[in-house]
Amino acid sequence: MKSNKRTWLLLSPGITWILFFLVAPLIMMIYVSFWTQTTFSIKPELTVTSWVNFFSSDTYFGALLRTIRIWLTVLFVTLLVGYPVALYIGQFIKNKTLQTALLVTCVIPFWTSFLIRVLAWRPMLGKEGAINIVLQKIGIIDAPIEVLLFTELSVIIGMVQIYVVFMVGPIAFMIGRIDGSLIESARDLGASSWTIFRRIILPLSMPGVIVGAIFVTVMVLGEFATASALSGRKVNLLGNIIITQVGSLKWAFAAVAGVVLTIVMATFVAVMLRIVNLRNQL
Amino acid sequence: MLEVKGVSKSFSGVPAVEDVSFKVEQNEYVTLLGSSGSGKSVLLRIIAGLLTPDAGVVLLNGEDVTDLPCHERRIGFVQQKYALFPHLNVFDNIAFGLRHREVDPIKNESLVKQKVSETIALVGLIGQESKMTGQISGGQKQRVSLARTLVTEPKICLLDEPLGALDANLRERMTIELQNIRSELGVSFMHVTGNEFEALAMGQNMLVMSEGRIVEQGIPQQMYATPSDLITAKSMHNFNIFSGDDLHKHMEAGTSDKLSAAKIKKAMHCAIPMDRIDIVAASAKAKGLRAEFLTSEFLGNKIIYFFKTEDGHVCEVEDHMSLRERRELTASTTYALKWKSKDILYYDENKQLLG
Repeated sequence: MKSNKRTWLLLSPGITWILFFLVAPLIMMIYVSFWTQTTFSIKPELTVTSWVNFFSSDTYFGALLRTIRIWLTVLFVTLLVGYPVALYIGQFIKNKTLQTALLVTCVIPFWTSFLIRVLAWRPMLGKEGAINIVLQKIGIIDAPIEVLLFTELSVIIGMVQIYVVFMVGPIAFMIGRIDGSLIESARDLGASSWTIFRRIILPLSMPGVIVGAIFVTVMVLGEFATASALSGRKVNLLGNIIITQVGSLKWAFAAVAGVVLTIVMATFVAVMLRIVNLRNQL
Repeated sequence: MLEVKGVSKSFSGVPAVEDVSFKVEQNEYVTLLGSSGSGKSVLLRIIAGLLTPDAGVVLLNGEDVTDLPCHERRIGFVQQKYALFPHLNVFDNIAFGLRHREVDPIKNESLVKQKVSETIALVGLIGQESKMTGQISGGQKQRVSLARTLVTEPKICLLDEPLGALDANLRERMTIELQNIRSELGVSFMHVTGNEFEALAMGQNMLVMSEGRIVEQGIPQQMYATPSDLITAKSMHNFNIFSGDDLHKHMEAGTSDKLSAAKIKKAMHCAIPMDRIDIVAASAKAKGLRAEFLTSEFLGNKIIYFFKTEDGHVCEVEDHMSLRERRELTASTTYALKWKSKDILYYDENKQLLG
């Protein structure tokens, strides 16, 4: 009984925090999404107008589809780029200090501000940017590639660069934890390097992939700054819609977009956690 | 069968294995005894193909396999900490080598099932097939690890301290089971251990390794009774070893009959079995090496008495409980320790037994 009391006492700060700053705002957001929105005011009279408008408008529903498309592309590319890096750090670097040093190197870009990191892509990707100049100088292209900046591609490039480290970290951690004797045993049992990767390393690194995917998902789905900075406001994600709606005091509409985003994120996280039981693996 | 010739391996200039040569015959149980850091695990890894030697060759049935990759050697290697795949159940762990080996994998699942089931029955794991490796005990993990190797029908099976992590009861049971399993399959086992009892009990042939070298090879009974190398004598933990300036003085004092003059002249070290020493009261007349009684250790079927000589040398005397009653000795009291001349083993300056 005493220890039960102590458990609740220890849990209470966390529970209070989550209740006030997560559960309550979430409920409020769902509630507000059903309020009646007029041009300049909002009334707590329940209606589904905002929801109907959201799903019947090409602009908003299109933004949802675009957000999902960009998110899945970024997720796939971060995994594609991040996994080999994590595999190298976790499996091929035996020295723990060097492993840590390389992981720290991955986060060096985070020593500068988010906006600088995003905006730094402009002189790289622009019509007269570094990439076009170099490609033209070495004669690979005659005219600059225009698709590099202010397009969906530039948004994807920027996001991959920013978020790939969140994929590398958890995967490298899981791969680094794989006992060398497992690899030795598999080799001794006659397995080739590819089989060892497919049958041992890959399944054992899956919790890292799941955690990395959750990190990237949560961050990319909530994104708005990279999209507006690198697309010249041409690519609107749900995050950008929320910002615009809040800016024009359309709270109900912003709440609808917020709820939709939350549902997408929660569904993805739930599915991922169904695939791998993190509690057993970590 | 397996022949290792002049194998050496260094790490950052520090030799781990130096000029090691030995043979393991077909259908033989060989034990390799060595303290930790003696290079025995490195040697095993070289044989398995997990490490490449700097010099020397490894021959398997006369064929040089030194440069053959590990997965093409068909040498089984049972790791010290079992190294079971945590994401696979017992059955899939055992079937791993059959299904996924590079050379000649078995695609027919019913054949895999049949072979795995046979091995599971052999190692006594029936009923555990679908359990995950985290749900089974240490002894069962040991069996899975062994079964996983044996099912691939290796030419020789290397076992790296296979009983090290088991409790004493289980270790004794596994000792017998390992021998039974081996004789049933007719495959050679090379068992590496730091435990002299394990090495003596299991091996038909025994190797002793120290500082990267094989110091002695032979039949366990013989090596236990008359080790031809002083390092072997030390590894057996059955001898009191006397060396240094006071060697002659100690031998003169403790030997109850006449010492071999020729041998003691050449000897630089002497070894006396712990169970061949008698303890008597240190009266003025009594012959014997004077030593102060420190303490005793009761081990069930035997008891060990610890003494300290005047120059600080610790001497152990072992009495088997079936042969005599427990002695009533008083701590901090001086006693006389004596032995017979025929029980002394003499070693020269190269630590080799004098004939």
